[in-house]
Amino acid sequence: MGTWIAALRSERIKLGRSQIMLLAVIDPVLCAVIGLLANVGKGEGAWAGLMLAMMVLHAMLFLPIMTGIFSAYVCRYEHAGGGWKQILSLPVSRSALYFSKLLVVMGTLALNQLLFLIAVLGVGALKGFDLALIPWADFGIKILGGFVACLPLAALQLFVSTMWSSFAAPLVLNVVFTIPNILIANSATYGPYYPWAQPMLVMMQAGGQYDFGAFGLPAETLLITVGGSFVLFLTAGLTYFNRKPV
Amino acid sequence: MTDMMIETRNLTKKYKGTPAVDALNLAIPRGEIYGFLGPNGAGKTTTIRMLLGLIKPDSGVVQIFGQDLKRERIKILRRVGSLVEYPSYYGHLNAVENLETIRRILNVPKSRIDEVLQTVGLTKDAKRSVKGYSLGMKQRLGIASALLGSPELLILDEPTNGLDPSGILEIRELIKKMPQQQGITVLVSSHLLSEVEQMASSVGIVNQGKMVFQDSIPNLQRKAGSEIHIALSDPDAAMITAREQGCFPRLDQGHLVFKGIDNGQIARLVAALVDARHSIYRVEERRKSLEDLFLTMTSGAANASSERHEAGAPRAAGLRKEAAQ
Repeated sequence: MGTWIAALRSERIKLGRSQIMLLAVIDPVLCAVIGLLANVGKGEGAWAGLMLAMMVLHAMLFLPIMTGIFSAYVCRYEHAGGGWKQILSLPVSRSALYFSKLLVVMGTLALNQLLFLIAVLGVGALKGFDLALIPWADFGIKILGGFVACLPLAALQLFVSTMWSSFAAPLVLNVVFTIPNILIANSATYGPYYPWAQPMLVMMQAGGQYDFGAFGLPAETLLITVGGSFVLFLTAGLTYFNRKPV
Repeated sequence: MTDMMIETRNLTKKYKGTPAVDALNLAIPRGEIYGFLGPNGAGKTTTIRMLLGLIKPDSGVVQIFGQDLKRERIKILRRVGSLVEYPSYYGHLNAVENLETIRRILNVPKSRIDEVLQTVGLTKDAKRSVKGYSLGMKQRLGIASALLGSPELLILDEPTNGLDPSGILEIRELIKKMPQQQGITVLVSSHLLSEVEQMASSVGIVNQGKMVFQDSIPNLQRKAGSEIHIALSDPDAAMITAREQGCFPRLDQGHLVFKGIDNGQIARLVAALVDARHSIYRVEERRKSLEDLFLTMTSGAANASSERHEAGAPRAAGLRKEAAQ
């Protein structure tokens, strides 16, 4: 446990003045622009409508892509300057190091989600929506669910990012598999198992008859697939990293 | 046994069937500066990576501080400082931040950072981003990182690579001081014999993954052997005189060359030569250069010594050039 915390604190320094925090801001800012431009009525479902309008691109595109970027980022500086062999010659277990990297990715994702929520609330306030009508429970579930649904993808992307010394390769892989999201989400059979579509499926359940394809699946089913694939990718990544010749 | 800092038994690592390290037995006693010597590609770095647990050996055992590396890796690494191949660094951070990433894992006091920066002479540039460092400065930062945890064992892989002569001298002096001042045992690898000779107290020579020589530096020099060359007025006649004295020299460019001859024999021989009215110009001892010895040892088991002159010559010339740098 001690070495794990130490590894995490060491990771904090490496992030230091780097631009990863800036990246976590880009997505909410873009979504805010979309929200401002969107034509949402001021009626009863104003907040939910705004959230939906801003979330389409966020959940379908930005969030999976950001997950890939964060994962690649925490490995980049290790690949670039021979950091792996230095840090693995230190008294820190490989698993502790791997978990600390994953935790950094998770932390940045959480920050990203939080900033997104703030963007939604900010845009709503700007548009003069009634603050008393904010559906906190619904928003909370969507933000938290979206975060959880990103974790399998984060584990998968961290796995390939430790494996490939190139920064671009995992990103290309990520983008290539993110683009078909909208098609795959339509399939109730394959959608839930597709890590890139999971954030979208979890966040964009509208409820009722509006759901189609994999969106119509019950949340429990989705969370089980999410949990299962997270465990699978994490185990694969850890097993690989523990054997990785440096 | 207990006083061995590093001991390996039959350490083997194969890449695609060809052994990079082949049944290597290292033995490094406490307090030594051990020069790990071999031509490029001899398996030095592969061995060092196995010593640090960066790669797993195919077979064989690594013991450091008398403990099994496989089981006690973390405990062992806490007491080891290392620099493998080229220096590792985070370019976007400055030297202090780079050391801080390591310090947090080693959990040593913050003051150690200033101390090691002082030791390697980087205090002035400590606040600059490492991206802009010269190779020599990066190398020194690497050594600073290795020293940060006050290790008992320091493993340095080609630490003077890419340094200018003054840098090489600095690093060499730094390494030489370690066993005396701080009781650190040092394993330093190099492909330059002259360098190892100048700082190491014992030496292991590897070639094609095999240990071909492991002993103290004086013993290596002894093994190189020496010859007595006598230059005189009439070598041919002198040969006969020498034979009468029971010495059997060979003739080399007008010199009589004696091998394995002691002081008494030389004295009697010179007296006899003077008696026989030879003019003796010089009597000198010539050491076979260690470079030659190194080349003989590393020219490969496959090459017989006679073949060496043809097959080994171009490579030998190249190596000698390198060694002269």
